[in-house]
Amino acid sequence: MIIPINLPGPSNGPRLPPSLAKLGNSEVVIIELQGSLEVEGDRSGQAVGKLKFEGDKPTLLIGHHLLEGKLVTLQKPLAVLHRAQPNEDDGTSYDMIGLVRRKIVFAKRPMPVINAAAVKQGMEAGGAKDDTEGKRKKLKLG
Amino acid sequence: MDETEVVFPWTTADAGTFKLLELPPDLLKLVEAYIEGNASLNLSVKGGAEEDAVLCTDEKTYTMRSVVLSNSVLVLTPAPEAGEGMGDKVVIQDELHDIIELVPSLPKLHKLKGILRGLEYDEGYEDEEMMDEDEEFDNTQTGTFSYADAMHLQASEGELRRGLRDMRILDIGGRLRPIAPSYLNTILELILNHLVSHSLHHDAVPVDELSAAMKDEHEVDRQVTTQVLLWFGTVKDGKWEMNAEEVIKQIGLGILRPHKDAPIAEQEFLEKWKSAVGDTFESYISLKLLEVCTSARTSHSGNYLSSMSRDTFPAVLALTYFPSSSLPTDPAARFTDLFLTRPKWKAEDIAPYLADVAVDSKERDKLLLKYARATKDAEGMWYTARNKI
Repeated sequence: MIIPINLPGPSNGPRLPPSLAKLGNSEVVIIELQGSLEVEGDRSGQAVGKLKFEGDKPTLLIGHHLLEGKLVTLQKPLAVLHRAQPNEDDGTSYDMIGLVRRKIVFAKRPMPVINAAAVKQGMEAGGAKDDTEGKRKKLKLG
Repeated sequence: MDETEVVFPWTTADAGTFKLLELPPDLLKLVEAYIEGNASLNLSVKGGAEEDAVLCTDEKTYTMRSVVLSNSVLVLTPAPEAGEGMGDKVVIQDELHDIIELVPSLPKLHKLKGILRGLEYDEGYEDEEMMDEDEEFDNTQTGTFSYADAMHLQASEGELRRGLRDMRILDIGGRLRPIAPSYLNTILELILNHLVSHSLHHDAVPVDELSAAMKDEHEVDRQVTTQVLLWFGTVKDGKWEMNAEEVIKQIGLGILRPHKDAPIAEQEFLEKWKSAVGDTFESYISLKLLEVCTSARTSHSGNYLSSMSRDTFPAVLALTYFPSSSLPTDPAARFTDLFLTRPKWKAEDIAPYLADVAVDSKERDKLLLKYARATKDAEGMWYTARNKI
């Protein structure tokens, strides 16, 4: 059997927010997590967390856990394929929805955040105090 | 606000419908060129239920391998309502634990030989084809295999076209039929005769005139002539430019073909070859022609073995027909066969017999390392079987 892969045309779908522009494409983002997301109950439409860039450094805040990640340029870019809605007359086919050259990797342990709002404020201020606090937290975790 | 909210999708229908395909540099270039609008590209996955899937571009074939990751990979796309002042949102479409790796591989066309067995097109079949033209072409009829059927084989279209040409397979009214080797030789000799008797130069032969003459004088079907001309040259503006070396080579192979078991003395073979091609093309003849690739499009594969004949005195160099297409496609079986034929191989002698099992010289060397033992002496590198009995 032959499964055609449809290549991307001029994109006119929704585009990624400008804050993710440094990923180098506007259709799709790849996030790599050590471990996986576990959700109890109905997860449809639920918020997972907040993704943020400080310079080149991505962070992901999920509930009271803060993940620090990094931006990794892929040696071999990935084509993201999506199985097309099967039509009545033709069989399975895939659409290439984007070409990903950089991914966001969260490989560290999450840091617990006691007061998310306070940490957020601290990070926005970017003070030295916050830095030491972060280090102490890491030490405890290790 | 440069914060992006990550959310789960409203439906789970899309879970499991995403795949990540790792693009090797050459394929990446093709995809980029396509996206920039500079080139066309067709990609498809091919394979039957019992085969490993391959990805085919227009020209190449890649084996697909799933690589399991210990991390999970999230695929996120922009939310449909993003950017409308509601804050930026991205949706986790899928969670994956593997990516697909692509490894360049050889087209799997050897099946064709088995599929088309018994469908050979030989001299005297023209009448049969004439009758068929009146009938509706029925694809379900047993024993027919069309070009469209062949597209399902695990090979790119470019490789399929080259394969059909190299395996000398005709497309007769939508059916693929290998031409009988002896008939092909007859046709080529007739063409050479035609050129000589009409004093035509082989650089620009009027196609119409030639195929008409072949039809009228020798009852060779026009579509057969046309396809044979394309195998052995290029047609431009109704003129055929003959690839003389390729034609002479094919005629030589035809003479060598019966000598699969009984070797033919080199001198005798060369005499026969000369008389077959005639005075005009005699100068092209050389044993080298049989071993080297004469056009960039043809794969370099082995055809004959030379050895000192023991039956005659004084011993003369004798040739045996030994085409690599008759050997098994599995590397292990191929090496066993090669070492049964000859216990010792020179590096340059064995290489042509590995051209169609290895993608490139790097892979060929890997195979040699795995299945053969290398020794070096004054004459150069020799290969012997690894598992010596």
